[in-house]
Amino acid sequence: MRRSLPTALLVIVGLLLLADFVIVNPSLAALAGVLLEYIVLLAAAAAITGGLALALRHIDQLRHADAERSGSVLVLLGMAAMLLAGFYPGSTGAADPLMRWLVAALLVPLVASLFAMLFFFLLSAARRGVRLRSRETTVMLLAASVVLVLLLPLGGSLGELLAAAAGWALAVPIGGVFRGLLIGVAIATAIAAARVLLAVDGAADD
Amino acid sequence: MIERMRGSWRSRQRTPWARLAPFVALAALAAAVVLPNLTPPLSLANPDRTSVTDFRAAVAALPAEPLVLVAFDADFGTYPEISYVTRSVLADLLGRGASLAFVSYSPEGRALAVAELDRLHRDGTPEDRLLDLGYRSGVEAALVLSVTSVVPDAATGALAQRVRAAGGGIDAFNAALVVGGTDLGPRAWVEQVSTRVPELPILAVAPTFLRPELEPYVHSGQLTALLGTLRDGVAYGAASDTPSGRPPSALAMLIGMLIGLGVLLEASGGGAFGRLRAFGSRGRQ
Repeated sequence: MRRSLPTALLVIVGLLLLADFVIVNPSLAALAGVLLEYIVLLAAAAAITGGLALALRHIDQLRHADAERSGSVLVLLGMAAMLLAGFYPGSTGAADPLMRWLVAALLVPLVASLFAMLFFFLLSAARRGVRLRSRETTVMLLAASVVLVLLLPLGGSLGELLAAAAGWALAVPIGGVFRGLLIGVAIATAIAAARVLLAVDGAADD
Repeated sequence: MIERMRGSWRSRQRTPWARLAPFVALAALAAAVVLPNLTPPLSLANPDRTSVTDFRAAVAALPAEPLVLVAFDADFGTYPEISYVTRSVLADLLGRGASLAFVSYSPEGRALAVAELDRLHRDGTPEDRLLDLGYRSGVEAALVLSVTSVVPDAATGALAQRVRAAGGGIDAFNAALVVGGTDLGPRAWVEQVSTRVPELPILAVAPTFLRPELEPYVHSGQLTALLGTLRDGVAYGAASDTPSGRPPSALAMLIGMLIGLGVLLEASGGGAFGRLRAFGSRGRQ
Protein backbone atom coordinates (compact mmCIF):
# COMPACT_ATOMS: atom_id res chain seq x y z
CA MET A 1 0.00 0.00 0.00
CA ARG A 2 1.62 3.20 -1.13
CA ARG A 3 1.12 6.29 0.98
CA SER A 4 1.55 9.79 -0.30
CA LEU A 5 0.58 13.32 0.63
CA PRO A 6 -2.17 13.59 -2.02
CA THR A 7 -3.65 10.30 -0.84
CA ALA A 8 -3.61 11.43 2.77
CA LEU A 9 -5.24 14.73 1.78
CA LEU A 10 -7.91 12.94 -0.22
CA VAL A 11 -8.70 10.60 2.64
CA ILE A 12 -8.94 13.39 5.19
CA VAL A 13 -11.05 15.68 2.99
CA GLY A 14 -13.31 12.85 1.86
CA LEU A 15 -13.93 11.60 5.39
CA LEU A 16 -14.56 15.12 6.70
CA LEU A 17 -17.14 15.84 3.97
CA LEU A 18 -18.75 12.46 4.56
CA ALA A 19 -18.90 13.08 8.30
CA ASP A 20 -20.47 16.50 7.70
CA PHE A 21 -23.11 14.83 5.57
CA VAL A 22 -24.23 12.46 8.34
CA ILE A 23 -23.42 14.35 11.58
CA VAL A 24 -25.01 17.67 12.55
CA ASN A 25 -22.21 19.62 14.20
CA PRO A 26 -21.56 23.36 13.74
CA SER A 27 -17.75 23.07 13.97
CA LEU A 28 -17.69 20.23 11.47
CA ALA A 29 -20.04 22.17 9.20
CA ALA A 30 -17.76 25.22 9.35
CA LEU A 31 -14.72 23.09 8.49
CA ALA A 32 -16.58 21.39 5.63
CA GLY A 33 -17.64 24.84 4.40
CA VAL A 34 -14.01 25.97 4.23
CA LEU A 35 -13.06 22.81 2.33
CA LEU A 36 -15.94 23.34 -0.09
CA GLU A 37 -14.75 26.89 -0.70
CA TYR A 38 -11.31 25.52 -1.55
CA ILE A 39 -12.96 23.10 -3.99
CA VAL A 40 -14.84 25.99 -5.61
CA LEU A 41 -11.60 27.98 -5.86
CA LEU A 42 -9.86 24.99 -7.41
CA ALA A 43 -12.68 24.64 -9.95
CA ALA A 44 -12.39 28.34 -10.82
CA ALA A 45 -8.61 28.01 -11.18
CA ALA A 46 -9.08 24.99 -13.45
CA ALA A 47 -11.51 26.98 -15.60
CA ILE A 48 -9.08 29.90 -15.93
CA THR A 49 -6.24 27.50 -16.74
CA GLY A 50 -8.41 25.86 -19.39
CA GLY A 51 -9.21 29.25 -20.93
CA LEU A 52 -5.55 30.24 -20.96
CA ALA A 53 -4.52 26.92 -22.50
CA LEU A 54 -7.12 27.36 -25.22
CA ALA A 55 -5.92 30.89 -25.99
CA LEU A 56 -2.26 29.80 -26.07
CA ARG A 57 -3.04 26.87 -28.35
CA HIS A 58 -4.82 29.12 -30.85
CA ILE A 59 -2.12 31.80 -30.67
CA ASP A 60 0.36 29.03 -31.43
CA GLN A 61 -1.75 27.88 -34.38
CA LEU A 62 -1.68 31.39 -35.83
CA ARG A 63 2.10 31.10 -36.12
CA HIS A 64 1.91 28.00 -38.33
CA ALA A 65 1.20 28.53 -42.01
CA ASP A 66 -0.41 25.13 -42.51
CA ALA A 67 -2.84 25.47 -39.59
CA GLU A 68 -6.52 26.39 -39.80
CA ARG A 69 -6.09 30.07 -39.00
CA SER A 70 -9.60 31.39 -39.52
CA GLY A 71 -10.99 29.24 -36.70
CA SER A 72 -8.26 30.36 -34.34
CA VAL A 73 -8.88 34.01 -35.20
CA LEU A 74 -12.58 33.59 -34.49
CA VAL A 75 -11.92 31.87 -31.15
CA LEU A 76 -9.47 34.58 -30.06
CA LEU A 77 -11.78 37.38 -31.21
CA GLY A 78 -14.66 35.82 -29.30
CA MET A 79 -12.58 35.51 -26.15
CA ALA A 80 -11.35 39.09 -26.52
CA ALA A 81 -14.89 40.40 -26.99
CA MET A 82 -16.10 38.64 -23.84
CA LEU A 83 -13.09 39.80 -21.81
CA LEU A 84 -13.50 43.39 -23.01
CA ALA A 85 -17.20 43.35 -22.14
CA GLY A 86 -16.40 42.09 -18.67
CA PHE A 87 -13.35 44.25 -17.91
CA TYR A 88 -13.75 47.62 -19.68
CA PRO A 89 -13.55 50.60 -17.28
CA GLY A 90 -16.90 50.94 -15.57
CA SER A 91 -18.05 47.43 -16.47
CA THR A 92 -20.12 45.57 -13.90
CA GLY A 93 -18.58 42.25 -14.92
CA ALA A 94 -20.81 39.31 -15.75
CA ALA A 95 -23.92 41.40 -15.10
CA ASP A 96 -22.86 44.16 -17.50
CA PRO A 97 -25.47 44.92 -20.20
CA LEU A 98 -22.88 44.50 -22.97
CA MET A 99 -21.88 41.10 -21.65
CA ARG A 100 -25.54 40.10 -21.34
CA TRP A 101 -26.17 41.25 -24.91
CA LEU A 102 -23.21 39.26 -26.20
CA VAL A 103 -24.49 36.16 -24.45
CA ALA A 104 -28.22 36.53 -25.18
CA ALA A 105 -28.03 37.92 -28.72
CA LEU A 106 -24.91 36.21 -30.07
CA LEU A 107 -23.71 33.23 -28.08
CA VAL A 108 -27.07 31.57 -27.38
CA PRO A 109 -28.45 31.81 -30.97
CA LEU A 110 -25.10 30.71 -32.43
CA VAL A 111 -24.83 27.63 -30.25
CA ALA A 112 -28.53 26.87 -30.71
CA SER A 113 -27.98 26.94 -34.50
CA LEU A 114 -25.04 24.60 -34.11
CA PHE A 115 -27.12 22.14 -32.13
CA ALA A 116 -30.00 22.45 -34.61
CA MET A 117 -27.63 20.98 -37.20
CA LEU A 118 -27.23 17.92 -35.00
CA PHE A 119 -30.37 16.50 -36.59
CA PHE A 120 -28.74 16.53 -40.02
CA PHE A 121 -25.39 15.27 -38.73
CA LEU A 122 -27.13 12.41 -36.94
CA LEU A 123 -29.11 11.53 -40.05
CA SER A 124 -25.95 11.56 -42.13
CA ALA A 125 -24.16 9.36 -39.59
CA ALA A 126 -27.11 6.98 -39.42
CA ARG A 127 -27.23 6.79 -43.22
CA ARG A 128 -23.59 5.83 -43.40
CA GLY A 129 -24.04 3.42 -40.50
CA VAL A 130 -26.81 1.59 -42.32
CA ARG A 131 -24.66 1.36 -45.45
CA LEU A 132 -21.86 -0.27 -43.46
CA ARG A 133 -24.33 -3.09 -42.67
CA SER A 134 -23.03 -3.71 -39.18
CA ARG A 135 -25.31 -5.69 -36.93
CA GLU A 136 -25.05 -3.28 -33.99
CA THR A 137 -25.88 -0.27 -36.13
CA THR A 138 -28.86 -2.07 -37.64
CA VAL A 139 -30.25 -2.93 -34.20
CA MET A 140 -29.67 0.61 -32.92
CA LEU A 141 -31.32 2.21 -35.92
CA LEU A 142 -34.25 -0.19 -35.82
CA ALA A 143 -34.81 0.82 -32.19
CA ALA A 144 -34.50 4.49 -33.19
CA SER A 145 -37.06 3.97 -35.96
CA VAL A 146 -39.52 2.36 -33.53
CA VAL A 147 -39.09 5.27 -31.10
CA LEU A 148 -39.58 7.75 -33.96
CA VAL A 149 -42.85 6.06 -34.90
CA LEU A 150 -44.00 6.07 -31.26
CA LEU A 151 -43.23 9.80 -30.97
CA LEU A 152 -45.11 10.82 -34.11
CA PRO A 153 -47.27 13.82 -33.16
CA LEU A 154 -50.62 12.50 -34.31
CA GLY A 155 -54.00 13.38 -32.86
CA GLY A 156 -57.04 11.18 -32.30
CA SER A 157 -57.15 7.66 -31.00
CA LEU A 158 -54.07 6.60 -33.02
CA GLY A 159 -52.07 9.41 -31.40
CA GLU A 160 -53.28 8.40 -27.93
CA LEU A 161 -52.31 4.80 -28.64
CA LEU A 162 -48.83 5.82 -29.80
CA ALA A 163 -48.42 8.14 -26.80
CA ALA A 164 -49.41 5.39 -24.40
CA ALA A 165 -46.96 3.00 -26.08
CA ALA A 166 -44.22 5.66 -25.91
CA GLY A 167 -44.95 6.19 -22.21
CA TRP A 168 -44.77 2.45 -21.59
CA ALA A 169 -41.48 2.18 -23.52
CA LEU A 170 -40.00 5.02 -21.48
CA ALA A 171 -41.22 3.68 -18.14
CA VAL A 172 -40.54 -0.04 -18.61
CA PRO A 173 -37.77 -1.15 -21.03
CA ILE A 174 -35.89 2.15 -21.35
CA GLY A 175 -36.41 3.01 -17.68
CA GLY A 176 -35.28 -0.47 -16.59
CA VAL A 177 -32.11 -0.40 -18.68
CA PHE A 178 -31.32 3.17 -17.66
CA ARG A 179 -31.78 2.49 -13.95
CA GLY A 180 -29.75 -0.70 -14.19
CA LEU A 181 -27.00 1.34 -15.77
CA LEU A 182 -27.26 3.99 -13.05
CA ILE A 183 -27.16 1.42 -10.27
CA GLY A 184 -24.08 -0.16 -11.87
CA VAL A 185 -22.38 3.22 -12.18
CA ALA A 186 -23.30 4.09 -8.58
CA ILE A 187 -21.86 0.81 -7.25
CA ALA A 188 -18.67 1.29 -9.28
CA THR A 189 -18.39 4.90 -8.05
CA ALA A 190 -18.96 3.83 -4.44
CA ILE A 191 -16.25 1.17 -4.76
CA ALA A 192 -13.84 3.65 -6.35
CA ALA A 193 -14.62 6.23 -3.63
CA ALA A 194 -14.11 3.65 -0.89
CA ARG A 195 -10.80 2.62 -2.44
CA VAL A 196 -9.68 6.25 -2.47
CA LEU A 197 -10.91 6.92 1.08
CA LEU A 198 -9.24 3.81 2.41
CA ALA A 199 -6.11 4.40 0.30
CA VAL A 200 -6.37 0.86 -1.04
CA ASP A 201 -3.85 -0.14 -3.74
CA GLY A 202 -2.79 3.45 -4.28
CA ALA A 203 -6.16 4.16 -5.96
CA ALA A 204 -5.70 7.88 -5.41
CA ASP A 205 -2.38 7.78 -7.25
CA ASP A 206 -3.97 6.38 -10.43
CA MET B 1 -16.74 -2.34 -49.87
CA ILE B 2 -16.02 1.20 -48.76
CA GLU B 3 -14.91 2.10 -52.30
CA ARG B 4 -18.13 0.63 -53.66
CA MET B 5 -20.09 2.68 -51.14
CA ARG B 6 -18.23 5.83 -52.10
CA GLY B 7 -18.95 5.19 -55.78
CA SER B 8 -22.59 4.59 -55.05
CA TRP B 9 -22.71 7.76 -52.95
CA ARG B 10 -21.12 9.84 -55.70
CA SER B 11 -23.48 8.46 -58.35
CA ARG B 12 -26.43 9.27 -56.14
CA GLN B 13 -25.12 12.75 -55.51
CA ARG B 14 -25.12 13.43 -59.21
CA THR B 15 -28.90 13.06 -59.51
CA PRO B 16 -30.76 16.37 -59.25
CA TRP B 17 -33.12 15.03 -56.60
CA ALA B 18 -30.27 13.96 -54.35
CA ARG B 19 -28.77 17.42 -54.64
CA LEU B 20 -32.05 19.18 -53.95
CA ALA B 21 -33.38 16.86 -51.24
CA PRO B 22 -31.55 18.43 -48.25
CA PHE B 23 -32.65 21.91 -49.27
CA VAL B 24 -36.25 20.80 -49.80
CA ALA B 25 -36.19 19.13 -46.38
CA LEU B 26 -34.74 22.25 -44.78
CA ALA B 27 -37.29 24.51 -46.49
CA ALA B 28 -40.16 22.24 -45.43
CA LEU B 29 -38.92 22.27 -41.82
CA ALA B 30 -38.48 26.05 -41.84
CA ALA B 31 -41.95 26.57 -43.32
CA ALA B 32 -43.49 24.21 -40.77
CA VAL B 33 -41.85 26.08 -37.89
CA VAL B 34 -42.94 29.48 -39.18
CA LEU B 35 -46.49 28.47 -40.15
CA PRO B 36 -49.10 28.84 -37.41
CA ASN B 37 -50.35 25.64 -35.82
CA LEU B 38 -53.32 25.19 -38.14
CA THR B 39 -53.13 21.45 -38.28
CA PRO B 40 -55.86 19.92 -36.11
CA PRO B 41 -55.02 16.26 -36.92
CA LEU B 42 -51.50 16.86 -35.62
CA SER B 43 -50.98 17.18 -31.91
CA LEU B 44 -48.85 15.77 -29.16
CA ALA B 45 -51.34 13.42 -27.55
CA ASN B 46 -50.84 12.88 -23.83
CA PRO B 47 -53.25 10.37 -22.31
CA ASP B 48 -51.41 10.31 -18.97
CA ARG B 49 -51.89 13.71 -17.33
CA THR B 50 -50.56 12.72 -13.90
CA SER B 51 -47.34 14.74 -14.16
CA VAL B 52 -49.16 17.84 -15.37
CA THR B 53 -51.82 17.58 -12.66
CA ASP B 54 -49.21 17.04 -9.94
CA PHE B 55 -47.08 19.95 -11.14
CA ARG B 56 -50.05 22.31 -11.28
CA ALA B 57 -51.06 21.19 -7.79
CA ALA B 58 -47.53 21.83 -6.50
CA VAL B 59 -47.53 25.35 -7.98
CA ALA B 60 -51.00 26.02 -6.58
CA ALA B 61 -49.86 24.86 -3.13
CA LEU B 62 -47.22 27.61 -2.91
CA PRO B 63 -48.07 30.53 -0.59
CA ALA B 64 -49.25 33.86 -1.99
CA GLU B 65 -46.49 35.86 -3.71
CA PRO B 66 -43.89 33.14 -3.15
CA LEU B 67 -40.15 33.52 -3.40
CA VAL B 68 -38.93 30.94 -5.90
CA LEU B 69 -35.32 30.03 -6.64
CA VAL B 70 -34.91 29.13 -10.31
CA ALA B 71 -31.87 26.89 -10.68
CA PHE B 72 -31.23 27.26 -14.37
CA ASP B 73 -28.83 24.56 -15.55
CA ALA B 74 -30.25 23.56 -18.88
CA ASP B 75 -27.85 22.84 -21.74
CA PHE B 76 -27.88 23.96 -25.34
CA GLY B 77 -28.46 20.46 -26.69
CA THR B 78 -31.65 19.69 -24.79
CA TYR B 79 -33.04 23.13 -23.95
CA PRO B 80 -35.13 23.38 -27.15
CA GLU B 81 -37.12 20.41 -25.84
CA ILE B 82 -37.96 22.08 -22.53
CA SER B 83 -37.90 25.78 -23.42
CA TYR B 84 -41.66 25.96 -24.02
CA VAL B 85 -42.58 24.30 -20.73
CA THR B 86 -39.93 26.29 -18.82
CA ARG B 87 -41.41 29.54 -20.12
CA SER B 88 -44.91 28.27 -19.30
CA VAL B 89 -43.92 27.48 -15.72
CA LEU B 90 -42.14 30.83 -15.28
CA ALA B 91 -45.21 32.64 -16.66
CA ASP B 92 -47.44 30.61 -14.36
CA LEU B 93 -45.34 31.49 -11.31
CA LEU B 94 -45.19 35.17 -12.24
CA GLY B 95 -48.94 35.10 -12.83
CA ARG B 96 -49.34 33.92 -9.22
CA GLY B 97 -47.30 36.86 -7.95
CA ALA B 98 -44.05 34.97 -7.45
CA SER B 99 -40.65 36.64 -7.29
CA LEU B 100 -37.96 34.70 -9.13
CA ALA B 101 -34.26 34.51 -8.31
CA PHE B 102 -32.10 32.91 -11.02
CA VAL B 103 -28.90 31.04 -10.23
CA SER B 104 -26.76 28.74 -12.40
CA TYR B 105 -24.09 26.20 -11.58
CA SER B 106 -23.05 25.43 -15.16
CA PRO B 107 -21.72 27.86 -17.81
CA GLU B 108 -24.27 26.76 -20.41
CA GLY B 109 -27.04 27.14 -17.88
CA ARG B 110 -25.81 30.64 -17.11
CA ALA B 111 -25.88 31.64 -20.79
CA LEU B 112 -29.42 30.33 -21.18
CA ALA B 113 -30.50 31.97 -17.92
CA VAL B 114 -29.21 35.32 -19.16
CA ALA B 115 -31.24 34.89 -22.35
CA GLU B 116 -34.37 33.98 -20.38
CA LEU B 117 -33.90 36.89 -17.97
CA ASP B 118 -33.57 39.23 -20.94
CA ARG B 119 -36.76 37.81 -22.43
CA LEU B 120 -38.62 38.32 -19.14
CA HIS B 121 -37.36 41.91 -18.92
CA ARG B 122 -38.45 42.55 -22.51
CA ASP B 123 -41.88 41.08 -21.77
CA GLY B 124 -42.34 43.68 -19.05
CA THR B 125 -41.79 41.67 -15.89
CA PRO B 126 -41.25 44.19 -13.08
CA GLU B 127 -37.59 44.58 -12.07
CA ASP B 128 -38.38 44.07 -8.41
CA ARG B 129 -39.67 40.57 -9.07
CA LEU B 130 -36.54 39.28 -10.78
CA LEU B 131 -33.17 38.72 -9.16
CA ASP B 132 -30.04 37.56 -10.94
CA LEU B 133 -27.88 35.57 -8.53
CA GLY B 134 -25.42 34.81 -11.32
CA TYR B 135 -23.15 31.87 -11.94
CA ARG B 136 -21.58 29.86 -9.13
CA SER B 137 -18.50 27.89 -10.11
CA GLY B 138 -17.77 24.57 -8.45
CA VAL B 139 -20.85 22.61 -9.55
CA GLU B 140 -22.00 20.42 -6.62
CA ALA B 141 -19.61 22.00 -4.11
CA ALA B 142 -21.12 25.39 -5.00
CA LEU B 143 -24.59 23.90 -4.67
CA VAL B 144 -23.80 22.75 -1.13
CA LEU B 145 -22.40 26.19 -0.24
CA SER B 146 -25.57 27.79 -1.60
CA VAL B 147 -27.61 26.02 1.06
CA THR B 148 -26.31 28.55 3.57
CA SER B 149 -25.44 31.47 1.26
CA VAL B 150 -26.81 31.98 -2.22
CA VAL B 151 -26.94 35.78 -2.55
CA PRO B 152 -23.68 37.33 -3.79
CA ASP B 153 -22.42 40.48 -2.05
CA ALA B 154 -22.87 42.47 -5.26
CA ALA B 155 -26.60 41.71 -5.47
CA THR B 156 -28.73 44.75 -4.67
CA GLY B 157 -32.41 45.60 -4.62
CA ALA B 158 -35.44 44.80 -2.56
CA LEU B 159 -35.57 41.16 -3.58
CA ALA B 160 -31.93 40.56 -2.62
CA GLN B 161 -32.62 42.20 0.74
CA ARG B 162 -35.70 40.04 1.20
CA VAL B 163 -33.64 36.87 0.66
CA ARG B 164 -30.86 38.10 2.95
CA ALA B 165 -33.40 38.96 5.64
CA ALA B 166 -34.71 35.41 5.44
CA GLY B 167 -31.25 33.97 6.04
CA GLY B 168 -29.61 34.31 2.63
CA GLY B 169 -29.54 30.58 1.88
CA ILE B 170 -31.68 28.25 -0.17
CA ASP B 171 -34.00 27.75 2.78
CA ALA B 172 -35.03 31.41 2.42
CA PHE B 173 -37.10 30.40 -0.60
CA ASN B 174 -40.59 28.93 -0.68
CA ALA B 175 -39.64 26.54 -3.48
CA ALA B 176 -36.94 25.71 -6.00
CA LEU B 177 -37.65 25.28 -9.68
CA VAL B 178 -34.83 23.20 -11.14
CA VAL B 179 -34.41 23.43 -14.91
CA GLY B 180 -32.08 20.54 -15.58
CA GLY B 181 -29.68 19.47 -18.27
CA THR B 182 -26.73 17.19 -18.82
CA ASP B 183 -24.30 19.03 -16.54
CA LEU B 184 -26.37 19.43 -13.42
CA GLY B 185 -29.91 18.29 -12.93
CA PRO B 186 -32.62 17.65 -10.36
CA ARG B 187 -30.78 14.53 -9.13
CA ALA B 188 -27.94 16.68 -7.76
CA TRP B 189 -30.55 18.84 -6.04
CA VAL B 190 -32.15 15.82 -4.41
CA GLU B 191 -28.75 14.51 -3.29
CA GLN B 192 -27.20 17.76 -2.10
CA VAL B 193 -30.08 20.09 -1.19
CA SER B 194 -33.02 17.87 -0.27
CA THR B 195 -30.92 16.15 2.37
CA ARG B 196 -29.96 19.51 3.92
CA VAL B 197 -33.24 21.41 3.42
CA PRO B 198 -35.85 18.63 3.42
CA GLU B 199 -38.80 21.01 3.76
CA LEU B 200 -38.04 22.81 0.48
CA PRO B 201 -40.39 21.77 -2.35
CA ILE B 202 -38.36 21.01 -5.48
CA LEU B 203 -40.19 21.33 -8.79
CA ALA B 204 -38.25 20.04 -11.77
CA VAL B 205 -38.32 20.53 -15.51
CA ALA B 206 -36.03 18.16 -17.37
CA PRO B 207 -35.52 16.70 -20.84
CA THR B 208 -36.90 13.26 -21.61
CA PHE B 209 -33.60 11.43 -21.30
CA LEU B 210 -33.41 12.35 -17.59
CA ARG B 211 -36.88 11.08 -16.80
CA PRO B 212 -35.95 7.43 -16.08
CA GLU B 213 -33.46 8.52 -13.40
CA LEU B 214 -35.79 11.12 -11.90
CA GLU B 215 -39.02 9.13 -11.78
CA PRO B 216 -38.07 7.23 -8.56
CA TYR B 217 -37.42 10.57 -6.79
CA VAL B 218 -40.93 11.70 -7.73
CA HIS B 219 -42.44 8.49 -6.36
CA SER B 220 -40.40 8.81 -3.14
CA GLY B 221 -41.53 12.42 -2.68
CA GLN B 222 -38.00 13.85 -2.83
CA LEU B 223 -39.01 15.68 -5.98
CA THR B 224 -42.32 17.41 -5.47
CA ALA B 225 -43.24 17.43 -9.16
CA LEU B 226 -41.59 16.75 -12.50
CA LEU B 227 -42.32 17.68 -16.09
CA GLY B 228 -40.03 15.35 -17.97
CA THR B 229 -41.27 14.82 -21.50
CA LEU B 230 -42.19 17.06 -24.41
CA ARG B 231 -45.75 15.74 -24.24
CA ASP B 232 -46.00 16.74 -20.56
CA GLY B 233 -44.55 20.14 -21.37
CA VAL B 234 -46.99 20.85 -24.18
CA ALA B 235 -49.90 19.61 -22.06
CA TYR B 236 -48.79 21.86 -19.17
CA GLY B 237 -48.53 24.88 -21.46
CA ALA B 238 -51.94 24.17 -22.98
CA ALA B 239 -53.53 23.95 -19.52
CA SER B 240 -51.76 27.07 -18.26
CA ASP B 241 -53.76 30.21 -17.49
CA THR B 242 -50.95 32.48 -18.66
CA PRO B 243 -49.96 32.13 -22.35
CA SER B 244 -46.22 31.97 -22.93
CA GLY B 245 -45.57 31.90 -26.64
CA ARG B 246 -46.23 29.31 -29.27
CA PRO B 247 -45.98 25.62 -28.49
CA PRO B 248 -43.57 23.57 -30.59
CA SER B 249 -44.83 22.95 -34.11
CA ALA B 250 -46.28 19.46 -34.40
CA LEU B 251 -46.04 19.73 -38.20
CA ALA B 252 -42.29 20.46 -38.02
CA MET B 253 -41.84 17.51 -35.67
CA LEU B 254 -43.79 15.25 -38.01
CA ILE B 255 -41.79 16.39 -41.05
CA GLY B 256 -38.49 15.90 -39.17
CA MET B 257 -39.46 12.43 -38.03
CA LEU B 258 -40.67 11.42 -41.50
CA ILE B 259 -37.42 12.71 -43.00
CA GLY B 260 -35.52 10.62 -40.46
CA LEU B 261 -37.52 7.50 -41.26
CA GLY B 262 -37.24 8.19 -45.00
CA VAL B 263 -33.47 8.57 -44.86
CA LEU B 264 -33.10 5.35 -42.88
CA LEU B 265 -35.29 3.46 -45.37
CA GLU B 266 -33.45 4.96 -48.33
CA ALA B 267 -30.08 4.12 -46.82
CA SER B 268 -31.17 0.53 -46.43
CA GLY B 269 -31.26 0.46 -50.24
CA GLY B 270 -35.03 0.13 -50.42
CA GLY B 271 -34.65 -3.43 -49.23
CA ALA B 272 -34.95 -3.08 -45.50
CA PHE B 273 -36.85 -6.29 -45.19
CA GLY B 274 -34.25 -8.14 -47.28
CA ARG B 275 -31.59 -6.71 -45.00
CA LEU B 276 -33.50 -7.97 -41.99
CA ARG B 277 -33.73 -11.43 -43.54
CA ALA B 278 -29.98 -11.36 -44.30
CA PHE B 279 -29.33 -10.17 -40.75
CA GLY B 280 -31.39 -13.06 -39.39
CA SER B 281 -29.63 -15.64 -41.54
CA ARG B 282 -26.19 -14.26 -40.56
CA GLY B 283 -27.22 -14.45 -36.94
CA ARG B 284 -28.10 -18.15 -37.31
CA GLN B 285 -24.78 -19.02 -38.97
